[in-house]
Amino acid sequence: MILAATVLVFVALLVLSLPIVFCLGAAGVTGLWLGGFPMQQLGSSLVAASQSWVLLAIPSFVFAGSLMERAGMSHSLVELARALVGWLRGGLGMSVIVVSYFFSDICGSKMAEVSALSSALMPPLARAGYRPEDAASLIASGTAMGMLVPPAIFMIVISAVTNQSAVALFLAGFIPAAIIGLCLCILVLIQAHVLGWPKDTALSWHRLLRASREAAVPMVIPVVILGGFYLGAFTATEAGAIVALYSLLAAVFYYRNVTWMQVLHIAYESGVLTGVVIFLLAVATIFQYLMGLSGVPELLGRLLQPLEATQWLFLTGVAIMTMLFGMLLEGLPAAVVLIPVVFPIATKIGIHPVHFDIVQTAAVGIGLFMPPMGVGLLMALRFANVSVFDHARHYWPYLVALLIGLMLIICIPELSLFLPRSAGFIKQSG
Amino acid sequence: MQAVLAIPKIVTGGLVLLAIGVMLYGVFMRYVMLPITDWLDVDPINFFWVEEVGETTLIWLTLIGAAVGVGERSHFTLTILTHHLPIRAQRIIHVGNNLLIAAFGGLVAWLGLKLAILNAMLTSPALEFSLAWLYASSVVGGILMALYALDAARRPAGPDHEITDVRE
Repeated sequence: MILAATVLVFVALLVLSLPIVFCLGAAGVTGLWLGGFPMQQLGSSLVAASQSWVLLAIPSFVFAGSLMERAGMSHSLVELARALVGWLRGGLGMSVIVVSYFFSDICGSKMAEVSALSSALMPPLARAGYRPEDAASLIASGTAMGMLVPPAIFMIVISAVTNQSAVALFLAGFIPAAIIGLCLCILVLIQAHVLGWPKDTALSWHRLLRASREAAVPMVIPVVILGGFYLGAFTATEAGAIVALYSLLAAVFYYRNVTWMQVLHIAYESGVLTGVVIFLLAVATIFQYLMGLSGVPELLGRLLQPLEATQWLFLTGVAIMTMLFGMLLEGLPAAVVLIPVVFPIATKIGIHPVHFDIVQTAAVGIGLFMPPMGVGLLMALRFANVSVFDHARHYWPYLVALLIGLMLIICIPELSLFLPRSAGFIKQSG
Repeated sequence: MQAVLAIPKIVTGGLVLLAIGVMLYGVFMRYVMLPITDWLDVDPINFFWVEEVGETTLIWLTLIGAAVGVGERSHFTLTILTHHLPIRAQRIIHVGNNLLIAAFGGLVAWLGLKLAILNAMLTSPALEFSLAWLYASSVVGGILMALYALDAARRPAGPDHEITDVRE
């Protein structure tokens, strides 16, 4: 009864376009009131959930990413990617995938990434004869893959939700992202031969050297993150602060194209985004509390029981749900509503928490770029100026490549576990 | 009203810079000063308060940032039906939604006030400040949320922000 009323209130308000966090809040208050539970649960949850050292990494990574994007570091990364793979057939298309990997390393925001890559790459893609549908598909699928490349805000949130080390998740994401990237690159090679995409540029060591030199400033960040985490030198929160300082110094003193007023404005924007994300996480704890009391995890456990015998089947089932949630509710609301419910079942049947989190991160990334409603996809299409339905006919091979990559990550847990294990974040038996 | 609502925006930016500054101070003390004081064999400089100040800053940032997000329409929103409705219906839903947000903000502020009073005598472990300061963030954030929502209710519904403002 309580559960039904709570879900009804949530869905009704969601349909009326009330922001999702307030749908969760109103539904939570209704559930607390109907169940006769103390309303103070809401007040204390808001403070308790946001009092977190790990989540403190969010404002600094967002601040750093926005500063680097504003300073135009994406352009030097695009040049590096073109110098690296542009000499292959369909090289410009493949550069989109490669630059998405690099750029996700410095930018924690998917929407900022779509916007930066679309502005930088759509014009040269059009000039090289790529259809707008293909350009949008390349950017959408590349950015979806980039979800797994740290530092993603989603990874910090899911680490808090499932009580895992954010550093372990950051390390775990590198190889799965490369695997999905590889699937996409193979597809681009095939498409290049079928559709006659040209080579972008001749192989030039001089160009590669120059591009590497120009990209050295932003490329320090992934090196610091990967190296620092691998050696256990610092935590995710400390890394966030270091990266924020580095990007500030680079933007103001090296690139010299960001004013102090713009820095303050970026700090403000980062603060609003941080507030929006963590407030959502905090309000959702009420919803999770009510679902727990109403026996939803047990109910879902029974529903998913047929899948429990086979871990990969269970993960696939949950990943499909996460993708759909990710498409409808966007990534973070999906994480705070669905994942806490299914996570205990996953660990009970022996799925490693880090593997589970990585699969869900990949699934949310794909969901964000899934037609017809993934917000990331809609944004890429806005830049390409094509409709969802026109685009879908050209997009399905990219979706298939993303899903093949996802299945590889699901079926081979070691892809996710190798780096955190070798860095000592996971016990050998794990 | 607009001038009053601009202050939290400045505070939001300031809190981000404060949080980053505090974390950097912690990093500097841990990786630079601690080895130096160890090497000189002198008493280490205390920086135990860094975590507490960082977390308290984040609580305030969350509540104030979320309130400002109401004014900026930055909260995640699903728009599947309302934009197909007649303008008048859209206007009614817009006002209704913002009144609901204002009521929720009021509730958050009220609950925060009760918790602040209840915990006023308790102190934080490191700096020993009253825990009322933690819950005061809910009072301030809740009131601001209500004010921003009431201000938004007066304004037209405006363009959808569900794509441009949703970030992962």
